[in-house]
Amino acid sequence: MSDAPMRLRHIRTIAWKELVDFVRDWRTLVAVIVIPLLIFPLLFFALPMVLQMEAAERGAMELDIIIQGDEPGDVLRELFSADKLNISFEALPEEIGIDLSVPLNDSEVIKRGDAQAILRLQNNATNNTWAYAILHDSTDERSSEAYSRLLHNLAIWEESLVNQTLEAHGLDAEETLDPVQWSGDIDAADIASDAEQAGWALSLFIPLIVAMWTASSAIQPSIDMTAGERERGTLEAVLCLPVKRFDLLAGKWLAVAAISGTGVLLQVVGLIFAVSYLTDSSSFLQMPELSTLSILLFLAGILLFTVMVVAFELALAVRSRSVKEAGSVLGPMIILIIFPALFAQFINLDGIEGFWFTIPVVNILLAMRELLMDRVIFGHVAIWFFSSLFYALMAAWYAAKQFNREDLVESIS
Amino acid sequence: MSTLLTSQGVTKEFGDVVAVDGVSLNLSRGDIVGLVGGNGAGKTTMLRLLCGLYRPSNGSITFHSADGSKKPIHELRQRLGVVPESTGLYHRLTAWENIRYHSRLHGIDDDTAWTRTLRFAKSLDFAEDLHRHTRGFSRGMRQKTALLRALVHGPEILLLDEPTGGLDVTSARMVRELVSKLRDEGGTVIYSTHHLAEAQMVCDRIIIMHNGQIRSDGTPSELMHETGTDSLENAYVSLTSDIARAVIKEESETRISKMWRSLLTPSSKNKEVGEDE
Repeated sequence: MSDAPMRLRHIRTIAWKELVDFVRDWRTLVAVIVIPLLIFPLLFFALPMVLQMEAAERGAMELDIIIQGDEPGDVLRELFSADKLNISFEALPEEIGIDLSVPLNDSEVIKRGDAQAILRLQNNATNNTWAYAILHDSTDERSSEAYSRLLHNLAIWEESLVNQTLEAHGLDAEETLDPVQWSGDIDAADIASDAEQAGWALSLFIPLIVAMWTASSAIQPSIDMTAGERERGTLEAVLCLPVKRFDLLAGKWLAVAAISGTGVLLQVVGLIFAVSYLTDSSSFLQMPELSTLSILLFLAGILLFTVMVVAFELALAVRSRSVKEAGSVLGPMIILIIFPALFAQFINLDGIEGFWFTIPVVNILLAMRELLMDRVIFGHVAIWFFSSLFYALMAAWYAAKQFNREDLVESIS
Repeated sequence: MSTLLTSQGVTKEFGDVVAVDGVSLNLSRGDIVGLVGGNGAGKTTMLRLLCGLYRPSNGSITFHSADGSKKPIHELRQRLGVVPESTGLYHRLTAWENIRYHSRLHGIDDDTAWTRTLRFAKSLDFAEDLHRHTRGFSRGMRQKTALLRALVHGPEILLLDEPTGGLDVTSARMVRELVSKLRDEGGTVIYSTHHLAEAQMVCDRIIIMHNGQIRSDGTPSELMHETGTDSLENAYVSLTSDIARAVIKEESETRISKMWRSLLTPSSKNKEVGEDE
């Protein structure tokens, strides 16, 4: 008689117990549910707000500027005044040569905060041109702001000087300086639809997030359910039960996969919410239009990736006798995911060779990128699906092997 | 009484260390056997061999079913109750949830498990604590929970590893009384302990283990007769008079880990005891 129903019951019992045990820790709930759900909405909402506040704060700063050398005309003075730059004048240092950028002793003035920047100006009367240099401290926020404002206003002043010269010679500024021009709306000429552009934009970071979150969120439960159990001495009693070790692994795998799968899903939900409601319509981040097949294949890709990563992490964690030891093994393992994941972001998908879809981690990331752009290329799908299935089975086999280790019953407690 | 378990020349080696050395024993149904020995005697390894957690390096362990046929190890697990030394409770679950987890994995329905648990819990004065989380449990409460968990499926054989270790006098007595009750009901118990007096109170038969070997196996009076002593304590001392080995089991770690650890461990070869670093 087949014992499959009993084994399935065992797996379900183990998985359920692991989940109950795990979610009873409120910190876990925060890590698994709250953080993934809120990370994107907070990022989309809080980041622009913080940037705006920072910009407003910088814009309100009154900055002291020293102009050394020749005095500029009223145009530049008015520009500086309008931009909250308080100017004072002094002569150029006597020892200065033709290179105005040499700080000499003036760096102390900026370091002491007497002025945030020094603008050195020298007029060439023969051809009525100006030479300038701005002494500033790029590591000081106020000095950097002064530098930016000076550059900005100098550019406006330069443009007005150019226009004056052109007009004096009877030339039209636009015709002279911009003789080759785009005709019409640049965005209208892009044949990609908004949804396609959105898919392309999302494909640049969603696969990376899914891969990193799956790998990182599985670490803690994997350790807790294996090395943690060994350390606490709970595994010995369970191993004495009439449960096959593979079923024990399957139950634990199911629980970890459910935890990290929930995290990934909630993160995607948070992202969709943020993209739908927290970005304005002019943003490049919009909802892509995906076919049902693309969505199903996308989910299958995540599932296979989760099988592989969770099985591998469980296998590595169960080899360790303590949580500390497992942490020091699994922590750096995230690099094994991040590097290929980053690498996969730079691979050009147009005309991509099939072998790329056989490389572990890279294959799933490339598949996700293609699918987010609603490209279902059956040759690629077959390669990444079967290669990922193979890697997932290999990881499961390795994990099962580790779960059959005799020293699993030994603990440091 | 019919044979339940047979161990034939069982040896267990961990690298160069022989933890159990050629142990042969027969266990019959209804036996309450005390496994007595000092630290490193091989008691825990022997228990783990008996419940199939370790595979013998040499020799064999056979489980005999009631009809006399021999059965594989997973058949034994269905009929086995184990209380490991560490108790092994999940601290975010209640005592009952810990017990129910094991009963479900034994295929026992929750109602049967609860009825059985409640019966034994009352005799341990523990019924009121079944729905409390085990996180704050004392050693005695943990031990009682582990004992109830091991009994929930009505095991044919119960393996107890230091079941009264760290318990107060009253709790230890309750555990001993429960074992006696099991004996009256025809249960089979292997009771591993450091304490000779405790084994004498609970067990009909005492196996003395020393340096991985069985030094003697019999009733307390047989042991005293065999050694020509007038007390069990003297019999024990006589049987284990050779120096107990210091068992340092090699950890299963990679060669690189071992090498790295030894590189960073200062050598004390040339230092006198008490010499300052």
